[in-house]
Amino acid sequence: MASSAPRTLSNDGVIEAAQAALGDLVVDTKDHVGEITLTVRREGVAEVCRLLRDTPGLEYQQLMEIAGVDYPDRPERFEVNYHLLSLTRNRRIRVKVTTDERTPVPTVTTLWPVAGWLEREVFDLFGVTFAGNADLRRILTDYGFEGHPLRKDFPLTGYVEMRYSETEKRVVYEPVELAQDFRAFDFLTTWNGPEYRLPGDEKAEPEAPGAYSPAPATGAAPKVEAAAGPGKRENKPYTSENEDRKTAGAKEARAEARKPNEAKQAEVGGVKTDMPEPTPDSPNVTRDSGEAQ
Amino acid sequence: MMSSDDLVTLPSGEVADDFRQTRRVEVSVLPEAGDQNAGDETIRNYTINFGPQHPAAHGVLRLIMELDGEIVERVDPHVGLLHRGTEKFIEYKPYLQSIPYFDRLDYCSPMCMEHSFVLAIEKLMGLEIPPRAQYIRVLMAELTRIKNHMLNLGSHVMDVGAMTPNLWLFEIREDLMQLYERVSGARMHANYFRPGGVRQDIPPKVLSDIGEFLDNRLKLFEDAISLVADNRIFKQRNVDIAKVAREDAIAWGFSGPMIRAAGIPWDIRKSQPYEVYDRMDFEVPVGTNSDCYDRFMVRVEEVRQSWKIARQCLLEMPAGPTATADQKVFPPPRAEMKTSMEALIHHFKLFTEGFHVPAGEVYVATESPKGEFGVYLVADGTNKPYRCKIRPTAFSHLQAMDFMMKGHMLADATAVLGAMDIVFGECDR
Repeated sequence: MASSAPRTLSNDGVIEAAQAALGDLVVDTKDHVGEITLTVRREGVAEVCRLLRDTPGLEYQQLMEIAGVDYPDRPERFEVNYHLLSLTRNRRIRVKVTTDERTPVPTVTTLWPVAGWLEREVFDLFGVTFAGNADLRRILTDYGFEGHPLRKDFPLTGYVEMRYSETEKRVVYEPVELAQDFRAFDFLTTWNGPEYRLPGDEKAEPEAPGAYSPAPATGAAPKVEAAAGPGKRENKPYTSENEDRKTAGAKEARAEARKPNEAKQAEVGGVKTDMPEPTPDSPNVTRDSGEAQ
Repeated sequence: MMSSDDLVTLPSGEVADDFRQTRRVEVSVLPEAGDQNAGDETIRNYTINFGPQHPAAHGVLRLIMELDGEIVERVDPHVGLLHRGTEKFIEYKPYLQSIPYFDRLDYCSPMCMEHSFVLAIEKLMGLEIPPRAQYIRVLMAELTRIKNHMLNLGSHVMDVGAMTPNLWLFEIREDLMQLYERVSGARMHANYFRPGGVRQDIPPKVLSDIGEFLDNRLKLFEDAISLVADNRIFKQRNVDIAKVAREDAIAWGFSGPMIRAAGIPWDIRKSQPYEVYDRMDFEVPVGTNSDCYDRFMVRVEEVRQSWKIARQCLLEMPAGPTATADQKVFPPPRAEMKTSMEALIHHFKLFTEGFHVPAGEVYVATESPKGEFGVYLVADGTNKPYRCKIRPTAFSHLQAMDFMMKGHMLADATAVLGAMDIVFGECDR
């Protein structure tokens, strides 16, 4: 292998041996970058692990890790991956089962006591339940936490934040308040940049062929690929027959201009004081106050 | 600040404690008690709370202990107080920007944390790295191991009552920190291992200073260890404490010094060699008694072996590039960017979009100073990991605390914890 990652003994023949030992419990096998993955039936996972541990020739004695993965688009959205290690055969193997929010996975704590915390972690972070695990409490998140943070539909910022309240003399929980909008940079489209709609942008719309210059005389309009944002673009070109957009935005601009000053101030967020506006002849501001002192 | 008024006495005579008031060890009586002044037959277990702010807890560990007198009946470790959502963050970052998160897992051995992650990426990409980079990685990983053990051995000794060795070992650790800084630019959070190689070459003067360190400092280490290794009190506190049978060590998923102290010669550097470990000449120490003293002595011997490996790396290190020439993965040198448009474009693309990792899943585990540190990486072909599961060493060791402590005295808890070598940045992620 080209990379300098840890080199185990060759996995040749492991898939065949595992299939012979496990029979129809195995749904699928895969050998990718030198790692064997066995996808097995969910209800048989404990049996599979027991066979992998106890069958001579396979002998995966240690359970090193249980990792959950969330694929929200799949009918059974969660994958649970068991990583086993053989100390005597010097090999690793991955056992994979799938499940959804409701269906529990049989526990393997009966085979390895270490599975207790590993299953607790998958339960805590993904909400996968394990039938037979007697101690399925949360482990990594806070006492009284709600939700399962590693699901893909759980926001990175979370829902609650906590701080120490000096007035209440205790830790208080509050809904998350972001000082600035959460920015999800889509680094995949570096060259196109993100899509913002600023006032006046409609003037820079790509023009359709046949329209007035500066559109190119021939060929299609320059294509701008961008994710469909909230402000959807109109497909109808702006021509003398279609003048809808001649006045686009004018209404909003007029409304903006006619807003009372108080409303604008409230938007900007300035602090209103009782102090009068200083004028040249107001007593507080004298032109020569600096010289007088 | 806190007075006994904070504890609410319930009508049943039970003392209810708010779980957040845990800055000291609180003793509360379980409810089954009847009359406090009844006869001897009403002997109750105490439940005490150890941590999360306790110097011997090595971080934010909270242990709920059930005591029968001074004998520990049951331990329930509560972890997660340092949970920062590292795995969630990594899903939102390009691969290159995720590396600094690994420094902050086990902040006592940062480069070994990076090692698993970059190897996982390289394995998925099938990326080959030049020999000099491999030697530098092994050299730095071994210096990191020494650095980690200096902290652990010292604090273990201090947990059971000795002060001097800790101070002496910290001197070595400080030297290593300074070398770290001269190599990577940071004393702790190095961000030095990169997919494709290492961030930059080590200057010759720094290499020779590393050699000087290796030549001169082993004596200080041996002096410090000689103070405790045969010390009567140290042995009384550690020998035969928390013995673990071989079968238990396997069933509880032990790794690293913990499994070696149980007499199983399992070292990933030896059995599943990565980088140039197969060329290194070192031995794997194992324990015979599987107690806290063995764990301590296994680490002591590991330091000597790491010293040997580091010296061998220095002697054999070839000249040549320190990173892959594939500029889609590793940025071009700064000088080249001044003249080459292509290099400039590569640099820009790499630090905005990043590189894409082919879809697939991979589990790569390396021998970190604390044991098997694994990274299960699921890539979906884009520039960000779809899922990155970190396998901490502490999780399986700390979970075994319950059965290891059973029947031991309360004071042994610190020795057991010290010999486990747990850092919560890694445990809680």
